[in-house]
Amino acid sequence: MFLLETRQLMKHFGGIMAVNEISLSIEKGEILGMIGPNGSGKSTFVNLLTGIYTPDKGQTIFKNQDITTLPVHRITEIGIARTFQNLRVFQNISVMTNILIGRHAQIHNSLWEVYLRPLSAWKREKAAREKALEFLELAHLTDRRDELAKNLPYGEQRLLEICRALASEPELLLLDEPCAGMNPVEMDTLAEFIQRIKASGTTIFIIEHNMRFIMAVAERIVVLNMGKKFKEGSPLEIQSDRGVQSIYLGEEEDV
Amino acid sequence: MLTEVLIVGVMVGAIYSLVTIGYSMVYGILKLMNFAHGDVYIFGTLVCYTLLAKFHLNPFLAVLAAAVSGGLLAALVELIAYRRLRAAQHRMISMITALGAAYVIQNSSELRWGNQVLSFPSLFPNQSVVFFGIQISVTHIFTLCVAVVVIVGFNLFLKYHKAGKAILCVSEDIPTSSLMGIPINRTISVVYFLGGVFGVLGGVLYSASYNAISISMGFRGTIIAFTAAVIGGIGSLGGALIGGMILGLSENLISVYVSSSYKDPITFLILISILLIRPTGILGSTESGKV
Amino acid sequence: MPKISKKSAVKFNVISHLAVIAGLAVLPFIIENPYYLGITNLILIYTILCMGLNLILGYTGLLSLGHAAFYGLGGYATAILMTRYGFSFLPALIISGLLALIFGMLLGVPTRKVRGDYFCLLTIAFGEIFRLVAQAWIPFTGGAMGIVGIPIPRIFSWTIRSETDFYYLGLILVVFTYLSLVLLTASRFGRAFVAIREDELAASVMGINTPAYKILAFSIGSFYAGLAGSYLAVYQTTITPSSFRLDESCLMIIMVIVGGMGSLLAPISGVIIMTLATEAFRSLADYRMLIIGVIMVTVLLFRPQGLFGTAAFKD
Repeated sequence: MFLLETRQLMKHFGGIMAVNEISLSIEKGEILGMIGPNGSGKSTFVNLLTGIYTPDKGQTIFKNQDITTLPVHRITEIGIARTFQNLRVFQNISVMTNILIGRHAQIHNSLWEVYLRPLSAWKREKAAREKALEFLELAHLTDRRDELAKNLPYGEQRLLEICRALASEPELLLLDEPCAGMNPVEMDTLAEFIQRIKASGTTIFIIEHNMRFIMAVAERIVVLNMGKKFKEGSPLEIQSDRGVQSIYLGEEEDV
Repeated sequence: MLTEVLIVGVMVGAIYSLVTIGYSMVYGILKLMNFAHGDVYIFGTLVCYTLLAKFHLNPFLAVLAAAVSGGLLAALVELIAYRRLRAAQHRMISMITALGAAYVIQNSSELRWGNQVLSFPSLFPNQSVVFFGIQISVTHIFTLCVAVVVIVGFNLFLKYHKAGKAILCVSEDIPTSSLMGIPINRTISVVYFLGGVFGVLGGVLYSASYNAISISMGFRGTIIAFTAAVIGGIGSLGGALIGGMILGLSENLISVYVSSSYKDPITFLILISILLIRPTGILGSTESGKV
Repeated sequence: MPKISKKSAVKFNVISHLAVIAGLAVLPFIIENPYYLGITNLILIYTILCMGLNLILGYTGLLSLGHAAFYGLGGYATAILMTRYGFSFLPALIISGLLALIFGMLLGVPTRKVRGDYFCLLTIAFGEIFRLVAQAWIPFTGGAMGIVGIPIPRIFSWTIRSETDFYYLGLILVVFTYLSLVLLTASRFGRAFVAIREDELAASVMGINTPAYKILAFSIGSFYAGLAGSYLAVYQTTITPSSFRLDESCLMIIMVIVGGMGSLLAPISGVIIMTLATEAFRSLADYRMLIIGVIMVTVLLFRPQGLFGTAAFKD
């Protein structure tokens, strides 16, 4: 069963076709990877899925609902969370508060309850804190909860960003180049963390540059090239595909 | 009647354009709302007033000295108050610092010159000539000429002089310009200096044609410069010209046909409507941030 | 280091709050001189104003230079309601607050499209239009002379007349402001404001409807300004447009910045320092605003997070 499906999604900036008629589907419970050389449209694609960009053409269907034109915050509310390629944790705020902000959509206190029924509002806040601790536990960040996010080492900030996304209890988690800037040890921690998230029933869509990582983690991989879907298959198929190799080799030569 | 109102409007518009150019350039490069702009040019204009009224200096020399003093003050403000904050994480910090700088300049000027309206001497002979049956004062003609010469000259400077090209380059992209060997700090100082100079020229022409100057015109000048820059599109020379003209004309038409006490509120209303309808200005392009 | 248990920390917190409130309650018996009590009342007014402004500026990261206009809206509303329509103080106070809230909401709507500096300019324009209209609309606002003879306020059987009475009224308003802001900032709303300040895009990805929250912060912050204006009207018994100039908005911003943005109580230190400084320099009237400007620039250059603020605005 499809959790999310895109139909001929298209987006161009000026004369550049960043995403050109990409149709793909993400199945419930899987880990789908997306790879492609620089500028192949991966990040634009994620921005289209999460409402940051509106596509010029095409549709996005999530849980049988058309979410193509929904605003960003609505998309989070109905169950898609994401991280950013260039790490966007709230730097000057404590780790705990970062998670609580991530849980925003799950705390159902109205303004009236905050002012007029502060006790019941406080109870929900307390429950949210306890839940937040569970997420921190998952990433082994419990001891860090009172530190400012910017004081965490880079790898832990990455984990924190994922935790923050998880705190909204999404059905689909989008990770935009989660291992950018990580060392091999941090990458292993991340891979293990992703497996634990999957085990908890969340569907995961990873965009990644690092081949070794994506091949080890993803169950199915989509390859993008020049804004188009180039190939789709299991990690083994992708690895042995000559076309995919030539895209990447071509890029190496350019470098 | 209407023709004369329009002529005065065009003259005021030309002056506003002068005041706007410097503001718009700075904003285009640093994205900094320079709240001190108006107070800098009022300072220069007051210097000119003192040189003319108290020392009876040759008008040409007086204006030149005043313009340079305004330019230096503008560059000094940038050096002391803005440069350190260029890399600040939150833009708000530099905006509030600019506000503080405006306060300091305004109140220092007030200590020297007081806050009453001073009578500014005329620069041009108080005569008028008749063109095709329309009476035009010599002051208006000269003012318009000076404004046009300065604007055209600055345009040529930007296009053909090395330092001018450096300014255009820096306003496109600071890091890249720096890689290409353009001295960023010096170029920015030049922009502030020129902004101050043009501002003072505008201030002097304005004060000379109305024979009045007061400290309180500074803040109004900042608002006018920003409004005109926003109307025309930030960082564009032609935009500054169009924006200044629109403001000058509408102000005069309103003063004459509605009431002069609604001049300022209506300027603000124009500003609000422009901000709401087309925040990037009439000539500006839409911009979008990269995620 | 021995860890303080959570329970005793809460207990300490409650005790220290009660101690501060008790101290403030007996203050008029310590300061008997009406001049000093008058300055204290001024501090209370600016505390209300700056706590509200801090919600907009320090928490949500919106630079508003129109706070004085909301202050003025409250002042004029109370003055007009009490002198012309025979309202008693309490309803006038509430209406003044709500009026400021509604105008805050209206001015907040453009934040959807107008960002950063342009928004700041919009608030300047709003503030100036408010003041110019107050000056020009003579039949309704009394023009530059303002409205005089605002009656002595009564709340039920309490007639508020002396400096001490006004001190207690101000204190009640400050406590109300503080407690309501504690409730708000400790909730998901307060966290949403901070998230918007830190990174608006990331905030929206967290499921925060950022335009709506900006409007919310702006209108709630303005509400308190309306209350402060209402208090000012009955305290001074007159209201004139010159009390609500742009300078006044700037002064409030300086107070918030000197004290420190983004923490509820930090601006109070800024209010106290700046009010006392303004009073101390009164003999140097000519240099007063100059000195304030210099303080402003110096603080921003060398300690942008303010004296007691969070690290939020540090480079």
